[in-house]
Amino acid sequence: MHAAKISKLTLSVFVLPCLILYVVLVFVPISVAAYYSLFQWNGIGEKLFVGLSNYSTMLAHDPVFWPSVWRTIMFAFFSMAEIPIALLIAVLLTRYVRKPNFLVSSYFLPVILSVVVIGQLWKSIYNPASLGGLLNNALDFVGLESWTRTWLADPEVSIFALFFVSLWQYLGYHILIQFTGIQNISQEVYEAAKIDGADGWKADRYITFPLVVPVFKISMVLAVIGSLKVFDMVMVMTAGGPAHATEVISTHMYNKTFAALEYGYGSAISIFLVIECLLATVLLNKLFKSSEDSMQ
Amino acid sequence: MKHAKRKSALLLMCSLLFVLTACSGNNGNAEQPTTAVKEGGDSKKQITLTFQNHYPDATDVQHKVMRQITDDYMAANPNIKIEVDSLNIDQQKIKLKTQAASNDMPDITVVNAAAQMAPFVEGGKLAPLNDILDRDGLGASFHSGILDYYTFDDKVYALPDGNNIAVIYYNKELFEQAGVAIPTTFDDLIKAAETFNGKQIIPMVVGEKETWTGSYFFMNILLRLAGPGYLSDVQAKTKDFMDPAFVQSVVKFREFIEAKGFQEGATSYDYDSAESLFTSGKAAMYFMGTWATGAMDDAEIKGKVGVFPFPTVDGKGDLDEYMLGPGTGFALSANSEHLEEAKDFLHYFMTNYPKVSFEFKNAVGVAQVVQGDFAQAGYSQLAIDVLDIFKKVKGGDIAFDNTMDPSTTQTHLNSIQNLFVSSIPPEDTAREHQNAFAANNQ
Repeated sequence: MHAAKISKLTLSVFVLPCLILYVVLVFVPISVAAYYSLFQWNGIGEKLFVGLSNYSTMLAHDPVFWPSVWRTIMFAFFSMAEIPIALLIAVLLTRYVRKPNFLVSSYFLPVILSVVVIGQLWKSIYNPASLGGLLNNALDFVGLESWTRTWLADPEVSIFALFFVSLWQYLGYHILIQFTGIQNISQEVYEAAKIDGADGWKADRYITFPLVVPVFKISMVLAVIGSLKVFDMVMVMTAGGPAHATEVISTHMYNKTFAALEYGYGSAISIFLVIECLLATVLLNKLFKSSEDSMQ
Repeated sequence: MKHAKRKSALLLMCSLLFVLTACSGNNGNAEQPTTAVKEGGDSKKQITLTFQNHYPDATDVQHKVMRQITDDYMAANPNIKIEVDSLNIDQQKIKLKTQAASNDMPDITVVNAAAQMAPFVEGGKLAPLNDILDRDGLGASFHSGILDYYTFDDKVYALPDGNNIAVIYYNKELFEQAGVAIPTTFDDLIKAAETFNGKQIIPMVVGEKETWTGSYFFMNILLRLAGPGYLSDVQAKTKDFMDPAFVQSVVKFREFIEAKGFQEGATSYDYDSAESLFTSGKAAMYFMGTWATGAMDDAEIKGKVGVFPFPTVDGKGDLDEYMLGPGTGFALSANSEHLEEAKDFLHYFMTNYPKVSFEFKNAVGVAQVVQGDFAQAGYSQLAIDVLDIFKKVKGGDIAFDNTMDPSTTQTHLNSIQNLFVSSIPPEDTAREHQNAFAANNQ
């Protein structure tokens, strides 16, 4: 803290550009949306002030809203569950693969592909067998005809089919983060532990896992926020259908705002989304804080 | 220390103020790109017009026609540059709504007929076009009645490129192979579906990911059972959605779905992928507006396609009544800085549209009178067949989204999509419609 004597004035001047950007790009749009959410407005004509009635409709009378929220939360849980798997793979890579960089990059590949490309790719994988769907044909081939279905058109499974694609795409991303986290742990710690008789899984249990927690936390936050905001994948593959079965908060907001021309109502949903994301971040931070404290 | 704090707070305030003023300053200059070139000209000033349309596919004949006329115009008017912004229909709709909300509409754009363009007209976003219709008899070149769908309070706000009807295209080869005759009743259609399924042929394709496609088919059943003007009656509140004809339409639609009339997984197909199932010869039938004729003649299936009208349902309905597609019309932004130039361009565009379309063999279903002998010009048999059907049209009805408000429309579209994947009592579907209508039309 005492290393450099910098006046608060200088500090604020240097922080200013970022602050301005933040205010303009984040704070202003959110405030504008909050303002619009108080109106009944089709986005083009006259606005009609309706107070909080958009919010009460959203919370109490919209049959699509809560299922969408529930699906979004479920997706966040799936994404969180993916991260321990990513950590496990990262540990295995560090331990057993001599030149792991190639593998890590390959796992990372889906992340840099456009969601539209991935969506189209998986759409054709999920196609019915009669139309050359890879998955259904594979199931047929191994004698599991009874398992085949129209993955994206069956309301019972379509949302999971979507989740799977997203999880598949981002697995490599989290592996990369965990892998880098493990690489950053000093080798000396492991050597010292080895002398004390902690090797293999034992070393992981007492050294790798505790030391990788900060990185693990970043992954968790990214996964949760990413899944709360999920939009493009759903839009490309099903557009929320069939009959709202794959609707998540963001697609519901989009459809309400732009397809049904209920701009005010859409804004109310987007404010809900902002609050939900903030809540999730705070919650996760609290959770990790307590677990970090207990480890020290 | 305290002093410094106060100073920084002051600075923060200043910066906030700066941001706010910068923001509001921006709004006023939103239309700058179009004016930027203004100063360059010497004798005649350079003007750039933006032309938004939904012909994004450069290999598509509609895009070629649009390009040809636009290029011709620019060649004749070197001081005017037309910037073409081609997007696919859904994207264009969203983009235009966003632009309208921020008062940043393109000079020339495209809107859907009737109820769908009403918010733009009521919001004062579109310029009336009566003056250019009066110029050189452009107005008289349109088919009678078609401009009504674009008229509000005696003012025409958009000029349509197409005037279409919905028909069922069928693959003659597959019909022969399965020994199926052209269905004239809905029960025949269901039987045909069963026969095709027995032979591992997809009976009919629909791109139900884009929900209007299934709705269009459903609306044709409704047209047969309830007759033309049903939705207008609902709007006038002389009828409602609990009407037996509406409920029965839902029942019939479900029957066709349960007979596996549409391809498996229909709700995940978009328009193009569904159409290509038919044009690649994998499916027997395709219910679509006649604008698709050009695509048939462009594909490998060329020469094997015929058309027939939507069958009667429960013995009701007139085969010569069709789902009409007054389609989309070109409109001008009321706030355009170059409204006069834009009007000139649109006048030129619409005057030449029938002629150039005819030359490009795309004049089937044009909203204007087309001069010329189609057969002699080498139009396909399919195109001639479609033109013959046009001659028999005795009226009909327009699509749901052209009649109802956007919010009720969304409920309808999702409710129809739901029929593809779950069996709910038809009365529930009707009630869902009625509730949405009541909530949005108080």
